[in-house]
Amino acid sequence: MASRMLWASRAASHLRISVFHRGFSTVLKDLHYAESHEWVKVDGKSATVGITDHAQDHLGDVVYVELPDVGAEVKQGEGFGAVESVKASSEVYSPVSGKVVEVNEELKESPALVNSHPFESGWFIKVEMNDAGELKNLLKPEEYSKLCDEENSSH
Amino acid sequence: MILAQNLCFRTIPTTCITVKHQKEPHQVNPVTQTKTKFCECFDLHKELIPYGKAWSWQKQIVKEKKSLVQRNEDCPDTLIVLQHDPVYTMGTGSSEKYLNFDIKKAPFDVYRTERGGEVTYHGPGQLVMYPIINLRNHKMDLHWYLRALEEVVIRVLSSTFSIKASRIEGFTGVWVGNQKLAAIGVRVSKWITYHGIALNVNTDLTPFSWIVPCGLRDRQVGSIKGLLQESQLSTRCGEADTSNSDDCELIDISYRSLIKEFSEVFQLEICQKAIPMSELLTENN
Repeated sequence: MASRMLWASRAASHLRISVFHRGFSTVLKDLHYAESHEWVKVDGKSATVGITDHAQDHLGDVVYVELPDVGAEVKQGEGFGAVESVKASSEVYSPVSGKVVEVNEELKESPALVNSHPFESGWFIKVEMNDAGELKNLLKPEEYSKLCDEENSSH
Repeated sequence: MILAQNLCFRTIPTTCITVKHQKEPHQVNPVTQTKTKFCECFDLHKELIPYGKAWSWQKQIVKEKKSLVQRNEDCPDTLIVLQHDPVYTMGTGSSEKYLNFDIKKAPFDVYRTERGGEVTYHGPGQLVMYPIINLRNHKMDLHWYLRALEEVVIRVLSSTFSIKASRIEGFTGVWVGNQKLAAIGVRVSKWITYHGIALNVNTDLTPFSWIVPCGLRDRQVGSIKGLLQESQLSTRCGEADTSNSDDCELIDISYRSLIKEFSEVFQLEICQKAIPMSELLTENN
């Protein structure tokens, strides 16, 4: 399904017609979301971060992911890396503050995992959070779904 | 279209290049009743600017725009047009395998930057355009932005030189047949864009042969001058004139056309601003 949508996206681009995006994006429960389209899965003090299905759908084929070093400090709302597609490199922002304890090395060889499995094997970093209270600043799944719907309808 | 020649020689501190934000008066277009959007343009199209200086300058402008956005203030767009001294630049995910030389013994400086795309060359005769724009003023859509940048160059080539250029699906940039005339690579940070387009006008293309440009092995690089010469020879108009004054004229014509088409594609009123050369070349950062 994802690859058909990518083909449609590329074909539409070639024909220079507006690229329609899916009327829905997969939004998983039990995750927290940032308005900048990152998700975070919390397990105690450990947080796994990635970008959402909505984000990867809009980016198109991801060709490169820029990740921080293990040990780097991240802050909620601040850039920690970047995602490149179509010769545009755009920043990704951390939904939580803390220390990076692991980065997804698989993304070096297989950046397309971000497109195919944005919530699973396409994760970016794992963070040891230093302030779980910050999670209240993030969106719940239904709030994030609403944001995506609004963005989709405004295209 | 150019609103006014505003040659204001500001005193710029020598420790860093800052751009003073001037609030432009709102101008209501009586026909369309839309608020005119302004874009300040720094015209350095005849100058050779060291890459490092231009890069620092862009980042400074991006930082200023981000703080305007954070304070919910108007954030007008900026455009810089210049030429570079010979230099190679690589994007975030660029591979050194596309360099046909040992990076430690490179013929020119090599910069690894935060833009997208693989290695490319910048040098005299190539017009480089850095739109530092707030996509919130336009469309928060990277695909749209890249297609719009391509559109600017395609229109320049068509309207000014009668060159039919096109896009190639999957290969961002502007092409004439198998030759790439303009390379594009951008970075977006909180919807503020930087880096941009490099259009070969009368560039010496030799340094491209020392790399695999944009990582594409089976494609070529072209220039406006090269295509015009080919066309002249094929229509038997005699020897193509390669005098220096014609080269300068070609750069000037290309520059004016780029500004005009950029203004139309992005629906912006261009306001020319000048930076004294001595300030730009002062040691800073």
